[in-house]
Amino acid sequence: MAIGTILRAIKQAMWLGWKVETNWADPLVFAIYYLVRPVAGLLIVGFIFLVGSVVTGTFDSVLFTFLFIGNSFFIYVMQVMMTMTMLIHEDRSHYEVLKHIYLAPGSLSWYIVGRALNGVMNASVSLLLTLGMGVAIFQFGLGINIPVNWLAANWGVLALGLLLGIICFMGMGFILCGINIMTSKVQFMLTDYVSGILYLFGGVVFLPSLLPLWGQYVSNALPVTYFLNVIRFSFLPEAGFDVQLNLLYLAVTMIATVLIGMLVFKAAMYKARRDGLIDKKEEY
Amino acid sequence: MRAAYARLWVRIKGGNREPEWLIAELIIPVITLSAYVFLYKMVQAPPEYAGFVIIGGTLMAFWSNVLWNMSAQFYWEKEVGNLEAYLVAPISRMAILLGMALGGFVNTTLRAIAVFVGGILIFQVPMALYEPFTALVIFLLTIAALYALGMMFASLFMLYGREAWHTANLLQEPIQFLSGTYYPTTSRVIPFTVQLLSSLIPLTFGLDGIRRVAILGEGITEVWPNIVALAIFTLILFPLAKLALNFMENLGKKEGRLTLRWQ
Repeated sequence: MAIGTILRAIKQAMWLGWKVETNWADPLVFAIYYLVRPVAGLLIVGFIFLVGSVVTGTFDSVLFTFLFIGNSFFIYVMQVMMTMTMLIHEDRSHYEVLKHIYLAPGSLSWYIVGRALNGVMNASVSLLLTLGMGVAIFQFGLGINIPVNWLAANWGVLALGLLLGIICFMGMGFILCGINIMTSKVQFMLTDYVSGILYLFGGVVFLPSLLPLWGQYVSNALPVTYFLNVIRFSFLPEAGFDVQLNLLYLAVTMIATVLIGMLVFKAAMYKARRDGLIDKKEEY
Repeated sequence: MRAAYARLWVRIKGGNREPEWLIAELIIPVITLSAYVFLYKMVQAPPEYAGFVIIGGTLMAFWSNVLWNMSAQFYWEKEVGNLEAYLVAPISRMAILLGMALGGFVNTTLRAIAVFVGGILIFQVPMALYEPFTALVIFLLTIAALYALGMMFASLFMLYGREAWHTANLLQEPIQFLSGTYYPTTSRVIPFTVQLLSSLIPLTFGLDGIRRVAILGEGITEVWPNIVALAIFTLILFPLAKLALNFMENLGKKEGRLTLRWQ
């Protein structure tokens, strides 16, 4: 397929995704919506940490920063998973447009990439707002020491980590799209399962070494663990992560995830076309 | 009552028809709760705090049920074209919602018990429940207040489309944060303004009361203010819900939005 057609498909999908996700409200309400949920999520884990620390009479600012960064950047995982899990259901069953997209000259895969990139864009806005509000509330409001100079991050490592991580999450998203196209009514639980498992085993808010041994093996197999380690290193080099090793593991797990994602999606599309699932109707 | 029973039957039957949903509703909450329990372990908090998380997660199952299976239900019904059937039938809207609430309560209680027992056993939480009847009273009052709140929200969902969907999404983490689902809001690190806002949510009083009775070993003499607060919430919210439903239905009829799909 010509590069121009691919880029046009991605651009239109991003635009459509933006419209679908935002045009239910005016920009201010939308911005509040995109701010409140992730900030509340950050406040929950932040206050769990603070309440627990007050009881024990100890406060470790590096551990607090560990969870602050982990929970904030987990927005990318949540947003990409949510967007890619819901879009097959929405386009096929709710709005009944999947068949038209499938027939259009641009490939369905590139359309999905465009929708996922819109999710990434939304996640980036949410992330910036969450980090800003989080620092304002915890550091300036409650006087918690967050030992990070946000403007002096290792931007190269951050950009590389984000790039590899986002491609990897999109690979996971393709697996979910494949499952969704073959099934119905599992889209909500799929998002919760996947994001829940990644949240628990990915070392998002606590050190994976606290998990039982089998849980640590799971953690070591998940790209999100390395993604968050790389991100943490870029802001907090003294956290003690071997950034090169984490980047290597992230790249390897990313390649594996993308390959599996492509295979699953291709097999699912073959089955969907054979069994007439592309325009399958559900409850709408 | 016949209308309520009919809706209750559909809810119970529909809620247990798909085993994959049943399994998901048992496993997913435990996954999330586990992350918070490990977070408490990381800061070496006492084991009672794991109990706080498990009780919070158990009651959160009811809040999710209120939001998605009662409040948002009118949105679903509108999208699938059932809402107009409800509106032309010679039945009360409150009866439909009561049926949904009772059916949802039965389904969610089964799941919540499994999550609670599983969580207590997995994380070896020490219990100190000396007055189970007091805990039961607080629990039932909390549920009554939450479902009354859900009925009130249902009026919004009857009228609005995707706004209501996003509102339901929005009412998850912020409510968990404000109500102290995973930590006691009485802790001295919680700012006063947050404590003030949390006192406007019935879930806060329910969580606090049940934790104190079930984990800290307190009794009716200590938690009676929670019981009074929950009773007041229930008495205020039920009539408000009826008023809101009538108002929104009339508004919806005037603006022609009750049968509007794909908003």
